[in-house]
Amino acid sequence: MNLLGQPVGLVHYLVVGAVLFACGVVCMAVKRNAVGVLMGIELVLNGANLNFVALGSRFLRADSPLALGLDGQAMALFVIVLAAAEAAVALAIALNYYNTHATIDVDEADQLKG
Amino acid sequence: MAVHWHSFFFWLMAIMACGFALAVVFSNNIVRMAFYLILSLGAVSGLFFLAGADFLGAMQLMIYVGGTVVLLVFGVMLTARRPWVDMQTSGGQWVLAAVVGALLLAVLLQTAFSVPPWQSSAAAAGALPPAAEPTAGPLGLAMVGVRVERMADRPAAESSSGLAGYLLPFEIVSVHLVVVLVGAAYLARARRRLSAAAPARPLEEAPQ
Amino acid sequence: MELARVLPLLLGGAWLAPLASFAAIVFFGPRMGRHGRGAGFLATGAIGLGFVLSALALGIWLGEHPLAGDGHGTGTHSATIAPVTGQWYTLARFGSLQLGVGYYIDALTVAMFTMVTLVATCIHVYSFGYMHEELHEVTDALAPLSTGQPLRRPGRFVRFYQYLSLFCFSMLGLVIAGNVLMVFVFWELVGICSYLLIGFYRERQSASHAANKAFIVNRVGDFGMIVGLMALWGGLGTLAFGDTTDEAGRVRPGIFSQVRPASTGHALWVPEGFVRAAAASQVAEIYRQTSNPQEAEARIRAALGPWRSAGWGYSLLVIAGLGIFCGCVGKSAQFPLHVWLPDAMEGPTPVSALIHAATMVAAGVYLVGRFYPVFTPEVLLVIALVGCITLFLAATIALVATDIKRVLAYSTVSQLGYMMFALGLGGWLAGLFHLLTHAFFKALLFLCAGSVIHATGTNEMPEMGGLLRKMPWTAWTMLVGCLAIAGAGVPFFIGLSGYYSKDAILAQAFLFRQVNPRLGWLFFVAAGGAALTAYYMFRLWFMTFTGQPRDAHRFEHAHESPPVMYVPLVVLAVAAVALGWPIFGVTELLEQARPAGTAEGAMGAGFLPGLVMPPEHLSHAAKVHGPATWIAMLTALAGFGVAVVFYGVRALDPADVRRTLAPLYDFLWHKWYFDELYQACFVRPALALARLAAFIDRKVIDGLAHGLAGLVRLVSVADDWLDRLFVDGLVNRIAQGTYRAGLALRAIQTGQVRQYVMFLGLGTVALFVLVNFVWTLVLGIP
Repeated sequence: MNLLGQPVGLVHYLVVGAVLFACGVVCMAVKRNAVGVLMGIELVLNGANLNFVALGSRFLRADSPLALGLDGQAMALFVIVLAAAEAAVALAIALNYYNTHATIDVDEADQLKG
Repeated sequence: MAVHWHSFFFWLMAIMACGFALAVVFSNNIVRMAFYLILSLGAVSGLFFLAGADFLGAMQLMIYVGGTVVLLVFGVMLTARRPWVDMQTSGGQWVLAAVVGALLLAVLLQTAFSVPPWQSSAAAAGALPPAAEPTAGPLGLAMVGVRVERMADRPAAESSSGLAGYLLPFEIVSVHLVVVLVGAAYLARARRRLSAAAPARPLEEAPQ
Repeated sequence: MELARVLPLLLGGAWLAPLASFAAIVFFGPRMGRHGRGAGFLATGAIGLGFVLSALALGIWLGEHPLAGDGHGTGTHSATIAPVTGQWYTLARFGSLQLGVGYYIDALTVAMFTMVTLVATCIHVYSFGYMHEELHEVTDALAPLSTGQPLRRPGRFVRFYQYLSLFCFSMLGLVIAGNVLMVFVFWELVGICSYLLIGFYRERQSASHAANKAFIVNRVGDFGMIVGLMALWGGLGTLAFGDTTDEAGRVRPGIFSQVRPASTGHALWVPEGFVRAAAASQVAEIYRQTSNPQEAEARIRAALGPWRSAGWGYSLLVIAGLGIFCGCVGKSAQFPLHVWLPDAMEGPTPVSALIHAATMVAAGVYLVGRFYPVFTPEVLLVIALVGCITLFLAATIALVATDIKRVLAYSTVSQLGYMMFALGLGGWLAGLFHLLTHAFFKALLFLCAGSVIHATGTNEMPEMGGLLRKMPWTAWTMLVGCLAIAGAGVPFFIGLSGYYSKDAILAQAFLFRQVNPRLGWLFFVAAGGAALTAYYMFRLWFMTFTGQPRDAHRFEHAHESPPVMYVPLVVLAVAAVALGWPIFGVTELLEQARPAGTAEGAMGAGFLPGLVMPPEHLSHAAKVHGPATWIAMLTALAGFGVAVVFYGVRALDPADVRRTLAPLYDFLWHKWYFDELYQACFVRPALALARLAAFIDRKVIDGLAHGLAGLVRLVSVADDWLDRLFVDGLVNRIAQGTYRAGLALRAIQTGQVRQYVMFLGLGTVALFVLVNFVWTLVLGIP
């Protein structure tokens, strides 16, 4: 298994991040439950975080001047914090929506229909 | 056969993360989605560890898995309806979403593959990767404005470029969190139901 | 006392007093007195003042020019008294033509003024009683409404006196006029007044028709008058009767001086202007031959005499005379324009008395008398013939008429014919004397008839009878009038006024017969006319006042008129009796006005060389006057006798005669079918022409106008279609397109969050593609 024998490079991490990102977007586009949409948002943010971390990883950089180093992790940390805050707010919105409309289906929230 | 354990775990974590992410997408049950999300995020945390961001991996588990997803589960429970409603998306929209997702994936993959491989020559020679160093210390000090890992790299000390820490963003995020806290609490406050003609419809009614 | 200053003042004052009365009544009439009574007082006062001034003028004239006192006057003095002429006001000057308000005062003018004002005063007073019902609301049964009810209208008392005043002003203006244009202006003005007064009861269709008829028939005559005026102006270069002095002090000869210059002893000769106009081709020839204009003028002047003797220009003089006479034919209701006068009886009786008996119709005779010097013997013969025909025609129609006013109207026409007849035969004095006497007794007769009409309420004589006991004043004064018109009197001794004037006419006719044997029948026609006159006048009197009343109801209500009505009758009766008496010397007064040169008689020239116009003074000779008087007396007695037989003692029944001579009776009853003839010859073609013109106007011209309008409308419809289709269409389509685009784009705005997410994704991809490929391709960055 030369797949397992090879050390993984940056590309692999980036691909995983891309997959997570795409899954998150699809989840946002597909789920009718507002909380499901929030889950998609989390996936997106995680994909982005993975990218940050990969690009700042000591193991994956090759002394390239483009490597982020610790900045990558710091940024990912900030993303996590902000994602949490955003999740809180979004959930508050969703609960508010549920309380006023008695439904959690985002398809029902079409009052801005043109 | 010499198994590159780093790679093995990477593949394991990667497949877990992608697989459970796909499971989140394809699942119809919101609770199961939450569970799959937990697992996916856990796998991502593993990936963080494998990439050398140990502090970050721990934070991921603590904040994301232990906080945010739990929050989401709370949300699920608060918005659950008496007869369990299964909201299905129509097939056409699945197709459209799949197309959009595929396109996006293609774009991202194209970008990802365009990054030049920057394995060091030492790694290419099969040398073991350097030992992991704990990142908590440097991260913490970076938060307060001391970039310890860069001090060794700089030859001259007359310019302080690149030494700025994350003190200001740290403060901003702190305030931000307070604001969010207050805001979220306000937004999600319980409404007093004054009369029967309350905006909230009865829970028994199925939303259509 | 200088006549030239005083007479114009007096007569001008008499002339303008009615005008002042007219103006005052126009502005303040309805407010004068109760119901406008004061207007009547004012008008009567004005004309009475006019009479006083005229009488004063007459007195002054007689003081300056006392009468000869020898009965008829010798008439040999060709140096007649020069008239007082002058101009009060010059209206305009066109080259040598001077248009102005001027006067020509001689004895005839003064006599006419006195007659007109006296008769008019009597009639004004009489009208107070006759038009009394016009003070209040009037119910006119002869003008029924479409519902059958009689018309009720407010009274027009004030209007009546207003018109009367205007008429008096016009008539006096005509008499005093010093030039032909002024005569013409007042000629038309009296025509207007006649129209207004005939149509006084304007709601009656008969009255309005009669007014139109009078005016239009007069207009026909006036056309000839204008031709005469033009000939006079063209030939003589002036329109004034007498000589005028212009600013430079030169004397410009008037019409009479040019036509009868002193150089020829006032004999008629063709004026230079007529000769030149007639010999125009020779004049042009001379101008062509000679280069020098002064020499040409000298040659022409030398040739004038021979040309005149050759007869050049005589025809123009005849045309001028005939033209002026044409107007007189219309105004004095001579044949063939006599048809309007009987219908003019639609007016109130005082109007008939004043206008259509005494004054306006006499204006034609007066003008013939005034223009006498201009008439050649040929023209005079035409006048005589017309007069002869008229007097006979009218007398025959009066024989069978039953409307009392119609009888008197035809009698007026006949008597006017007598006057023209006399004037045409050379009897200038006879004609004008008859004019004066006729005015009085005809006015008297009309006013008496009005009194009878007022009392019985009808004009028809078959409904009257036996009124002698009920209306003595009227009856006896009317008898005086009848005697006067018949010429009653003791031969060679004394008579009523009509006796003297009719005698003079017949004497002149007898004289004329002696010198023109081939035209002797004229005398017999006149004598026959005298018989007819006597007959129908006494027929009228007997039918009205004697015998049994034929309508008991009318007889019951008949009563004598109030004094305001019968006192004027008495005054006029006195005048009718006494005017002709020699001691008053009316004939001598008129003799003073005889135009110079006309006393000698004349011979016919160009057209009728054998015609002899005898001098009038020869008619006073015993061998002429004697037989004429006897024949006049006998014919009058004959007519009177027949009237007594049929209507006085009723020995014979006129109905029998009517049956026996039925065709003749019909012919006379229908007035010789003149009205039908004119209707067919003139009225119908005129109406047909009018209908044709109306048809062209309605169908062709209006059709054209409507067609154009329709065309414009079509164009506008087409334009509208184009506008709607293309212009509006374009704008609408753009708007619709925009709207549809908006509606289409609206579909994207579903409000669905998930769809927005997909668009986000797609947008990102698109941006990436854009940046990745276009960036490198366009900008060349690898």
